[in-house]
Amino acid sequence: MTQLIKELLTQLKENRHKQYRSEQIEKPIAYPLDLFGFNFGTPFKAHWSVGNVTVSFPAALAKGFLAIREEIVNSMKRAQTEEQLSFGQQMLDTVDEYIGGVEDQKNNARALGNTRLCDALERVPLYPATNFFEACTFVRAMMYFLRRSGATHLGLGRFDQYMYPYYIADKARGVSDAELFETLEAFFISLNHDTDLYRGIMRGDNGQSLVLGGFDKDGKSLYNELSEACVRASLELELIDPKINLRVGKNTPIEIYELATELTKKGLGFPQYCNDDVVVPGLIKLGYDPEDAYEYVVAACWEFIIPYCSGDVPNRATLNFPLAVNRAITQRLRECGSFEELLEYAKEEISADCQRNIREQWGAYEKGVSTVALSLFTDGCIASLRDMWRGGTKYNNFGSHGAGIASAADALAAVKKLVFDEGSLSADELLEALEKDFAGAEELRKRLLACPKMGNNDDFVDSVACELMKHFGDVLNLQPNGLEGGIWRAGTGSALEYLKSAKLCPATADGRHAGAPYGTNFSPSLEAKPSGILSVIQSFSKFDMTNVINGGPLTLEIHDTVLRNDVGIKKTAALVKAFIDLGGHQLQLNSINRERLLDAWEHPEKYPHLIVRVWGWSGYWNELDRQYQEHIVKRVEFLN
Amino acid sequence: MTGRFFSIEEFSVYDGPGIRTTVFLKGCPLRCTWCHNPEGQSSAFEAVRSPNGCISCKSCERYAKHSDGRLIYTEQSINACPVGLLRVCGEDIEADGLCRRLLKNARILKNGGGVTFSGGEPLLQSEFVFECLSLLRGELHTALQTCGYCSPDVFSRALSLCDYFLFDLKLIDSDGHKRYTGVPNERILENFRALAKSGVSFSTRMPLIPTVTDTEHNLRAAAELLKECGIDYIELLPYNRMAGGKYAMLGRRYSPEFDEAVPCQAREDIFESFGIKTKIL
Repeated sequence: MTQLIKELLTQLKENRHKQYRSEQIEKPIAYPLDLFGFNFGTPFKAHWSVGNVTVSFPAALAKGFLAIREEIVNSMKRAQTEEQLSFGQQMLDTVDEYIGGVEDQKNNARALGNTRLCDALERVPLYPATNFFEACTFVRAMMYFLRRSGATHLGLGRFDQYMYPYYIADKARGVSDAELFETLEAFFISLNHDTDLYRGIMRGDNGQSLVLGGFDKDGKSLYNELSEACVRASLELELIDPKINLRVGKNTPIEIYELATELTKKGLGFPQYCNDDVVVPGLIKLGYDPEDAYEYVVAACWEFIIPYCSGDVPNRATLNFPLAVNRAITQRLRECGSFEELLEYAKEEISADCQRNIREQWGAYEKGVSTVALSLFTDGCIASLRDMWRGGTKYNNFGSHGAGIASAADALAAVKKLVFDEGSLSADELLEALEKDFAGAEELRKRLLACPKMGNNDDFVDSVACELMKHFGDVLNLQPNGLEGGIWRAGTGSALEYLKSAKLCPATADGRHAGAPYGTNFSPSLEAKPSGILSVIQSFSKFDMTNVINGGPLTLEIHDTVLRNDVGIKKTAALVKAFIDLGGHQLQLNSINRERLLDAWEHPEKYPHLIVRVWGWSGYWNELDRQYQEHIVKRVEFLN
Repeated sequence: MTGRFFSIEEFSVYDGPGIRTTVFLKGCPLRCTWCHNPEGQSSAFEAVRSPNGCISCKSCERYAKHSDGRLIYTEQSINACPVGLLRVCGEDIEADGLCRRLLKNARILKNGGGVTFSGGEPLLQSEFVFECLSLLRGELHTALQTCGYCSPDVFSRALSLCDYFLFDLKLIDSDGHKRYTGVPNERILENFRALAKSGVSFSTRMPLIPTVTDTEHNLRAAAELLKECGIDYIELLPYNRMAGGKYAMLGRRYSPEFDEAVPCQAREDIFESFGIKTKIL
């Protein structure tokens, strides 16, 4: 680590705990050493609904703002409607505002004595970037201006691809690897500034995701030396931004997984893995052009979107799986002669909820001050003089989360076992207990909890989950959304719906209490006690994930002591590879972190299934003596 | 036939090559004073109690038995706990049932990994283990983590059925071995020599227990034994001060016969001087 990077990190660490919002800091925190330091002045005008896209960095970097302005002017000459003219004018005003803003930032940099930035701003973002430093400045400038315009959750897309030409050109000119790495690290550090300036968004949930690697249509790996430099920079800096996503596939060499697992070991919650072998075919099935599908990125968290030419809204609606299944059980169980009949009713309820979502969201388009700004950097909008969310760009699809699949499948499996197979539980008894949220029926609840649960590689309950998920995809995928050419896409994510939707759901037949949370995204329920990580991986790789490709990872946690040496790193990497090779679509692997353990320390009741690796054995957190918990907390503190 | 286990752990990282599932079998002929799996010692079912979440109602104690200063929870204790903190440790399973369960994850385990039988001491239930090993033959790579304390006949059958061994050496001096583990080590060393000659793959392991196994005398004796057997690699497992973590859950007190506070000595140099490579796990 160079002296400059050390100083930048010190500056960040001394300040980042401060919050503009809550600590009455009069001005946003200044980072005078920041190589890419833009002066934000005031908080962003964040609008929750507008964002979750990846704008066309490559096109902008190659053109510069002045050429973009020229394009708008020329396009306006061909405008056919008042609406187009008006939208063109808004884009023109916006780009002019940005061009003026560059001068302000230059003065700001000069005042801070930041001559490198000042020099770079002489050229970018008004003109095309000519080297890696300028390209980084350009990207940072775009993020800055777009946020000033109210855009949130802006992904950084395939950074290792669109920045690579600048990176290798510098190398060809004789710029050393060390110098380029320093620039990259300084850029990464700058992404950790200003995170307190969003309103209404949890700090850190800012969408600054990088997507690295992947394969092209000929199967050629695109993981290059810049991809590796990004992983190494993240490893060295140990900062929450940018979030690293790795596109992998069956031909990804184990060494890439091993380096990535070193990053998992840091306990930052990334990298997240996305499987090209599943995601690309899934997106093509949804009607995306293959050349676009191969370019896929994650929007902000894990939503698979097409960058540069899409106004897709992957978080448009949620299917609340347990709620739909629960309606089938509570309203229809008494009349069902067989489990198959009940399953059909459950599917009908899923269909009904999907149809309702489609109706309610029909033709809804994103609006807000940032639509013009984002359209400015989205392919096709300047040529068409149309808003990216009103047909200006290529894709306008909606995505639906699918929350709580495990709870839903577990509930049906319990009914099958106790009501239909054993006949040991009557419909009346179950429904009464559900209605009373198991009050006075604790014994029954225990029996329900003991029934098969997803995450144990139990073929029956997993097959129920597969059938529900498949039905969700079959019903929703490709349905029109009311926008020009727009369709719906089903997915496995939950976002915050694992709490929010769960609150709406009464007690369920898997033994879950009313309002109790679901598993996060695509994960076992909190009522399940999975028999182990291999069984979880197997349970969650039985699905045809190409049919539900809106995104939403299997989330796994391992104790960081598993990763304490190269044996653990290599085996964990092999485990990730096994999941990908089995056809898993997306994986979030966490080395368990300090905050969570501290919380578990204070509130053990909230973590009944938290598994910790003590050293040669794993145990449930709540089964450890306090002194051992204390030891782990301390050790994790040390590791972090 | 039926066997008894106390845990099946998936993705056990330090129990043999590749991605593995380890079956911890209940019952052990040794009583190592540093044992970190005390629930593996007795062959009998035992009640274990989680230490956290207890509301101190003492319902469990009302039904518990007292023996050798130890509190033994009974079935009534388990049923009496209003917050469900007690559970039975130990489960019986048929060999074919266990193998079916293990084979369910074969898709992952086949790729360079497999299944490990540990304990306790797996060879204390040798007939059961042999049945499992036979059933898994040709399906999954198998490993035995053993202390080597069994008859030569049993050990030689194990050698003919199992793909890989993790052999734990502790003390080379038999009197010392008896003092700290409860049994002498002649059989163990005999079996170890048989393993070395057999051509079956294995790795040798030694727990580094402060002032007990980590002494220069013991490590040098171990190195000499390894050299005599033509073995050039040993894995060392440093003592972890959390070894006693599970005793309270069994109503027992952890009282090792050595000073836990003394840091253990990983004297790799001793092995190196004999041309033996080491790895600290």
